[in-house]
Amino acid sequence: MKNPHTWRYLTIQFMLAVFGFSILLQIVRVQNSAEVKDILVASGMFEGQSVTYYPSRGEIYDRSGHLLAGNETVYEVGLDLNVMKDLNPSNLAAFQNNIALAAQLYLDMTYREALEKMMNPPEGAVYIVIADFVPAEKAEKLIKLRDDSVYNPIGQNLNGMHFKERLQRSYTEYSLASNLIGVVPPQDERGHSGVEEKHNNLLAGTPLTVWVPANPILARELTDVPAGATLILTILRDVQAATEEILDAAITNTGAESGSIVIMDPKTGEILAMATSPRPNLNDFANYGNTLSSEHPLNPAISKPYEPGSVYKIFTMAAALEKGVVKPEDTYWDHGIIIISEVPIHNWNDTVWGLQDMVGCLRHSINTCLVWVASQLGKEDFYSFMQKFGFGHTTGIDLADEVSGYLKFPGDQLWHPLDLGTNAFGQGVSVTPIQMVMAASSFANGGRMVYPHVLYASVQDGQQHNTSPQVVGSPISAATAHTLNEMLAISLEAEGSKAVVPGYRLAGKTGTAEIPTTGGYLDSVTNASFIGWGPLDDPQFMVYVWLEKPKSSLWGSEVAAPVFKQVVERLVVLLRIPPDNVRLQLAGQ
Amino acid sequence: MNNVSQFVQKYRQASWRVQLQWLVLFMAGLVVIAMVAGLYLSVSIRATQAGREIQALKKDILIGQRMNADLALNLARLTSSQAMKSRALALGFKPLEPEQITYVAVAGYTPPTAINLARLKTPQLAPIILPEYSLSLFEWFADMLQSTPPTSSWQP
Repeated sequence: MKNPHTWRYLTIQFMLAVFGFSILLQIVRVQNSAEVKDILVASGMFEGQSVTYYPSRGEIYDRSGHLLAGNETVYEVGLDLNVMKDLNPSNLAAFQNNIALAAQLYLDMTYREALEKMMNPPEGAVYIVIADFVPAEKAEKLIKLRDDSVYNPIGQNLNGMHFKERLQRSYTEYSLASNLIGVVPPQDERGHSGVEEKHNNLLAGTPLTVWVPANPILARELTDVPAGATLILTILRDVQAATEEILDAAITNTGAESGSIVIMDPKTGEILAMATSPRPNLNDFANYGNTLSSEHPLNPAISKPYEPGSVYKIFTMAAALEKGVVKPEDTYWDHGIIIISEVPIHNWNDTVWGLQDMVGCLRHSINTCLVWVASQLGKEDFYSFMQKFGFGHTTGIDLADEVSGYLKFPGDQLWHPLDLGTNAFGQGVSVTPIQMVMAASSFANGGRMVYPHVLYASVQDGQQHNTSPQVVGSPISAATAHTLNEMLAISLEAEGSKAVVPGYRLAGKTGTAEIPTTGGYLDSVTNASFIGWGPLDDPQFMVYVWLEKPKSSLWGSEVAAPVFKQVVERLVVLLRIPPDNVRLQLAGQ
Repeated sequence: MNNVSQFVQKYRQASWRVQLQWLVLFMAGLVVIAMVAGLYLSVSIRATQAGREIQALKKDILIGQRMNADLALNLARLTSSQAMKSRALALGFKPLEPEQITYVAVAGYTPPTAINLARLKTPQLAPIILPEYSLSLFEWFADMLQSTPPTSSWQP
């Protein structure tokens, strides 16, 4: 029998089917709509967040393991402005007063400064920074105060105050080796100057960006962010400190404007100390400008070229010996004057030395003799050798801000035949102390010139990678190096130089240079220098001293040579180098 | 034909019994679903707890590293060149002059070399998740076979 109500059932079924189908249709439509991408992006914002982890900056040590640069915890102290939103005027005043008082007591700021920050926040800000880079001991006191007063009434609590930890670069030795280390200023993740800039990529490490899901079920083991590489420098802290002390005393005693002392191992190119003046306190970046200027850069030993004067004569003599145009016993008759390109050149104190051999020329630092030697060598060979010694180019030392100095070559627009004569005794050419040390390393190292460097090793992932010594050229032969060493040692001993250190046979040369200006050379101020190395049979150190504009005496032999002696006397103790007789005796046992 | 319908009627279960069977089946289904849901919840809770614990431990590590950095820095400041010099002078020590030194040959003495910080630095942390939790059964079995020590030869 046919059910009379069948049409009703069919109608309901049809309507339900239509309803179900429309739902399916809507699902398909929504999933393919234009807005779906925006919806997905919006929903994705609540699924988690992308977090970038910055590795802690690598530490810097000296080669004995003394920490020179590390990181310390500092705090950003801020205020949640929402806390102040619902306060009535009297409560608001009490709250702000309390925060400003706390800031005055613990954050090294005035009450008014703190109050103004709270009363004049940036438009739309919900959080303001009251103080940044707050030392941990101060911030921790404030945190305790806030936590202890949470339930106190308004005006007697610090609710709303927030503290964010971060690491800040800190230098344990303050100004020691500051010229060499460089600095990472607060609010800047990048190193400036010195090792901090040159090896910034190693020290800073590689930031890691990871997705941190909001759903804790999805939380997984995060990859550890390796810290930046730890660097070990070639310098010895105690040698650096002693050298700086000697330099500071020399500047005070001689009235020099500034100075530099570079100590290098001539066999490996490792810089053992690099003292300069003035030196800023690296932890007091705000006052950097008070210490440094364009006249006094952070590291004049690599970035302030100057005309070296007579110390440069050793390169002229070395080139002539290597080329074979002179021998130590060759003689030169000094008349106290020599004419080059119709320009007379005199000796440094207008003395006439008469007949001299080449040792005598170096011993008395006779300008005319070295001009004659350079003329015997010829301009092509002279400048070819100067290029081989690396002058006119940077040494490539692993420190930021190195400059190349200036050496004109025949064919250059500004080169004049007179330059050959003046360059022969170190005028008309500008160099940096580090260039001089690198070039002279060939004398102390059997003719091989080594690359100067300050990075002893880098440590990363539990592995230490030591820097290998590099020979950058051999401008002269071992025989020439030996001959020149003997000539310089004899001249130093015969001269009765103030650089002589009893018990140690050393080679060395003084330098006194007039200072060029746009109006010509000044003869009232000089650059006084001394370069020396030893012990002569097994050189373990090379010392370069430069005093800028000394007042007590103009001469390098008077002001720079005694500084060299003081440095060597400290150095042989700190490096445990016995006197020659003891060393040879011990070696023979 | 009549016999057939009688047979079917004889063996057909009573409708109340069929309803009961369906009810039991439904309840059994519910119990299974509840068990699976309970198990899922339990595992989820443990995973969540572990996740939170990992996050907390990460934070602890970070705090520990910062404390270490602060302490190392404080130690370095206390033993800085200037501080050590001041302490030495206060104790009556004086800088040594070259002529005050007596050198003695010591057989077998090796002069100190530059520090090797790689020995002092903590090696990379081992992964927290043990291999047993990430290996397949086959890989685990293969590893076990490979790591089985060789049987020693029999000796009388």
